[in-house]
Amino acid sequence: MRIQVRFFAGYREIVGSRALSWSAREGLTLEELVDGVLAKYPRLAGHRATMLLAVNHSVAGSDRVLREGDEVALLPPVSGGVR
Amino acid sequence: MIDIRRARINLEAVVDSVRRDDAGAIVLFVGSVRSDEGVRALDYEVYRPMATKSFAALVERAKEKFGIREMSIVHRLGRVAVGGDSVAIACASVHRAEAFAACAWVMDEVKRIVPIWKTEVAGRKDRARRLR
Repeated sequence: MRIQVRFFAGYREIVGSRALSWSAREGLTLEELVDGVLAKYPRLAGHRATMLLAVNHSVAGSDRVLREGDEVALLPPVSGGVR
Repeated sequence: MIDIRRARINLEAVVDSVRRDDAGAIVLFVGSVRSDEGVRALDYEVYRPMATKSFAALVERAKEKFGIREMSIVHRLGRVAVGGDSVAIACASVHRAEAFAACAWVMDEVKRIVPIWKTEVAGRKDRARRLR
C-alpha cells in the first residue's frame, strides 16, 4: 500500500521535500513507518523525542495501524501565534 | 470565522464575525510581529488542513469550557513584516470575564498544539533563524 508522508519546517529542510509517497506492507503501524523514515533520513532521528505524529490531520499514537492512502505528518514542536 | 490567510487580517471584520445580540462583551486579541534586533519579518508555515481542524476544535472547546457565545480565529501564512498582525482571536460572551479568559486560553493552546511554525527573516547582514 502507499502512504503519503509529509514534513514541515526543520524536518522538511532535512528531508529536502514536503512530501513522500511511502511504500508499505499491509498492517504497518505508525511507529514502524516512522522507524523506516528515520532510517532513511538519519538526521531526523535526533528529533524523535519531540516529534508529534498525525494521521489524516489528527494527532495519532504510534501503535496506529495505517491504511492505504493515509496521510502521515511528522510535526516539529509548533511555534504559531506570537512570541 | 476560521481563516488561514496570506493577506493582511481585517480586524474589524474579525470583530464583526462574532457580534451577537445576546453578547455584551467582545474581546479581540491581536498578535503582531515584534521588532527584535536583526529581524525584519517572520515566515509562517502552516499544515493547513490540520490547523483548520485544530482551530475549529478549539472554538468548540472554548464554548464548552467558558460558556462563550462565539469565537473567531484568523492566522497568517507566509511572510509577515515587523508591525504586521500574525494572528487575531475575537471572542463574544454575555459578560467580559469569560471572553477575556477564553481568549487567553485559546491563544495559549494555539501556541501549544496548532501545527504552525515560524522562522525569523533576518536583515541583510544576518541569517534566518528557525524558532524552536
